[in-house]
Amino acid sequence: MAVEVHEVEHHPAHAPPPRRGRRRLTGAGWLRTLWTMPLGFGLATLLVIGARAAMGFEPLWELQVLIVAWTIIVPLAFLAGLGGFDYWAYWISGRPSRPEDHSSHGARSWKDYFRVNTDHKVIGIQYLVTTILFFGAAGLMAMFMRAELARPGMQYVDTNTFNGLFSVHASLMIFLFIIPAFAGLGNYVIPLMIGAPDMAFPRLNALSFWLLPIAGLIMMSSYLVPDGGAFAAGWTNYVPLAVQQPDGNLMFQMGVQWAGASSIMTALNFLVTIITMRAPGMSFWRMPLLVWANFATSTLVVLATPFVAGSQFFIMFDRVLHTNFFNPELGGDVIAYQHIFWFYSHPAVYIMMLPGFGIASEVISVFARKPIFGYRLMALSLMAILILGFSVWAHHMFVSGMQPWIRIPMMVTTLVIAVPTGIKVFSWLATLWEGRLRFTTPMLFALGFVTMFVIGGLSGIYLGSVPVDIHASDTYFVVAHIHYVLFGGSLFTIFAGIYYWFPKMTGRMYNEGLGKLHFWLTFVGFNVTFFPMHWVGLQGMPRRVADYAPEFGNWNLIISIASFGLGASTLVFLYNMIVSWRAGVPAPGNPWRALTLEWQVSSPPPVFNFAEIPQVVGSPYEYGVRGARHAVLNGDRAEVEERPRVEA
Amino acid sequence: MTLVGVAVGAALALVALLIPWLPDAASEQAGIIDSVYWLVTIICVAIFAMVAGVAVYAVYKFRAPPDDLDDGSPIHGHTGLEIVWTLVPTALVTLIAVYSGVALAKAENLPEDGAHRVVHVTAEQFAWSYEYPDVELENGEPLRTGELVLPVDQAVEFLITSKDVLHSFWVPEWRMKQDAVRGVTTRTVVEPTKVGTFEVICTELCGLGHAIMRSQARVLSPEAFEAWVAEQRRLAAEGGSVQGEALFTAQCASCHILEAAGSQGQVGPNLDEALQGADEEFVRESIVDPGASIAEGYEDVMPDNFGELFTEEQVDGLVEYLLESTGGG
Repeated sequence: MAVEVHEVEHHPAHAPPPRRGRRRLTGAGWLRTLWTMPLGFGLATLLVIGARAAMGFEPLWELQVLIVAWTIIVPLAFLAGLGGFDYWAYWISGRPSRPEDHSSHGARSWKDYFRVNTDHKVIGIQYLVTTILFFGAAGLMAMFMRAELARPGMQYVDTNTFNGLFSVHASLMIFLFIIPAFAGLGNYVIPLMIGAPDMAFPRLNALSFWLLPIAGLIMMSSYLVPDGGAFAAGWTNYVPLAVQQPDGNLMFQMGVQWAGASSIMTALNFLVTIITMRAPGMSFWRMPLLVWANFATSTLVVLATPFVAGSQFFIMFDRVLHTNFFNPELGGDVIAYQHIFWFYSHPAVYIMMLPGFGIASEVISVFARKPIFGYRLMALSLMAILILGFSVWAHHMFVSGMQPWIRIPMMVTTLVIAVPTGIKVFSWLATLWEGRLRFTTPMLFALGFVTMFVIGGLSGIYLGSVPVDIHASDTYFVVAHIHYVLFGGSLFTIFAGIYYWFPKMTGRMYNEGLGKLHFWLTFVGFNVTFFPMHWVGLQGMPRRVADYAPEFGNWNLIISIASFGLGASTLVFLYNMIVSWRAGVPAPGNPWRALTLEWQVSSPPPVFNFAEIPQVVGSPYEYGVRGARHAVLNGDRAEVEERPRVEA
Repeated sequence: MTLVGVAVGAALALVALLIPWLPDAASEQAGIIDSVYWLVTIICVAIFAMVAGVAVYAVYKFRAPPDDLDDGSPIHGHTGLEIVWTLVPTALVTLIAVYSGVALAKAENLPEDGAHRVVHVTAEQFAWSYEYPDVELENGEPLRTGELVLPVDQAVEFLITSKDVLHSFWVPEWRMKQDAVRGVTTRTVVEPTKVGTFEVICTELCGLGHAIMRSQARVLSPEAFEAWVAEQRRLAAEGGSVQGEALFTAQCASCHILEAAGSQGQVGPNLDEALQGADEEFVRESIVDPGASIAEGYEDVMPDNFGELFTEEQVDGLVEYLLESTGGG
């Protein structure tokens, strides 16, 4: 894969010194991981077996204890080998830590994407490519599920495999695709948008990326666990089933810890960057809405993610240490798990949606050539969703058997969230009004998002109303709802964002015809796949079943055929991305004539983004306003646009 | 603009009204819940028609000609409009919340005269069992069944619990659903209004047999219900293969084929084949410890508590009946 070489003029001699001989094995890199990882594996095994021997526990080889030790120590050994901790280790041990060395900034060849790289632009691309790989894996699992569900009865997989497929599918899509894909786009774009040279904590940023493939590989390798295979209690991992499950369930509990740690690190980084590193003149009320959205999202992540980590640790303790958090016979409480889990996992829905709101605002404003309608209310409604988002978690539990009275306040807060969400939808529509609309691929995905997300939001009103939810919960209606929100909402905006910033990231234009083909195939395939699920669910088909009543056979066949088309549409996307990245038409600095700062530098931007920190003088959305400017760069924006692009 | 909106709205209203979205309503509660459903549907169809209408109209009307480099009108907002689209949705969701709250209270309340029947529901991997505390058998035990049988037009309070993982009790035609939780007794109320046979479906993922955790609920006329109760009392007193046949029909027929009983269940092995020529010990083991020997091509999903659910006499009767029917022994 050819990768654009970033501009190197500022630091011509910053390449790390070439290493030879034994130094190649002791210096940071993949070669070092080749011995640190087996070492970690051996240490973890010895630790467990030694401790069990000392305590007199039988048998010495207890797989689920070993899995816990391996999934903690081997990833740490991998990170140490790759160099994730080198700087801090040098600093702690009093060795010179080379603070002025920018050898880990920028990318000169494809190999630099496989290092602990501290450049937010490199990390952003690392994030996106990695998450798209997991998206492909999780999508394939969905295809297997739809093949099994095409006809009633059992055809290709057994129920254990099927339960594993939907559990791993959801876990990867949520923890390894949607959440980190938004983090990747934010990583690339936020420092540029606020006029900063990088993120506030570049080394933490690098570390947070490398936790992701670890989390994903732990989850995927659960298929290899002997006697039972992958975790199969759903991504919600409800107890007591999670405690009763075979050892593979631990791979979910431990994988979530790594993904969660990655989220928290990135969110802290975003918050500090947004609060402290805005360019002069970039007040909060002059921030692009994408920055606002990531500000709200990061606050959610920091406050909520520890709860999912805790919920999975409690299950792990119940399994491995034989505690009784969720064992009612010994004073535990089954429903308590659901409260802790949803206290994260409902806000997680907004973690997976608010950055998409931000992307839609950027794209719609630019391609309608109009200021975003009601900018302040748009920003405030993000904050309202952030606050309300913490007060609705128990709407996932209306039939759980919790105290009945809690259902009423939770229903009210749930329905009230429709108000700020409605404000956003109406404002996007008003932004289109009297615009000069250009239907590029990102604009198509953004408009597709607005309409599809409205369907997902409205089906959320049904589920928010307790009496309707009593009938519809845990049926295919819920499956339809979450896919309208997470596919029609989150994924459409991720596609919009990837197409929109593709020229900035790669320095090349994507193929517009293929982009539009991708949109239409996705849009049609998506609706034919997921819309009938509303009906099937209300009629009586429960979710998470490998087999179903024969009367749903025909609809399921239609759904399965459409889902294969939907899966195939992703191939058009991948082809377009790969071919355009290698050989697309070179992109100018600002192909969309956008006003936000990331478009005022070359494509791709220089290693430290701006030759000189820009001075922000106005709103980022002043399209059509004569003489209005967002920022002054290097004295004059016109000069910047004429600056020659540095070629590979 | 108006035309596009009306067209979109009309098309959506047809989709919403012409397709039977909900299964037949067969309980008092279904009528109440359906009224909430239709209130929400009317509001949602109107909102979606408006959003889609504006979007379609804008896409058609404000499309930029090729090579056009102009900007749109620099409209930054409109305070009046923003107030309207904050207040109107607030009013609508308030309406939905109030209506839903009232409907919920109505659906879950027992009749004012207090006349109702209590049924204890116990869920386990992967079967439902029911206990009728007000039907006492000769031996002083309450009636226990694997099939839910109820009289029509009488409110039933279900007290639900689970022996192992989470399950959820749902009959789509009744609309009501309630999780079964170990260590907790949960409650729901249903007043069946239609005679017929319905499916009890588990909707909370409970392990390998989740998809097949289904059984029947039969709603009978009051007279037929009394006759059924009398028959259960008689069978329990009688013993032997007569009792065995009744047990088979109630507990086993939904999953197994047995020609003698005319049963058509496909979840477990065909007993005419699996038990052909089997001895008494094997048949007994297959009932009380089904995991001990699994027929080829099947999974270990049969409940393993029949030894506890049935009295020894009942197991004897069931074994006797199965041996008679399949020619073993």
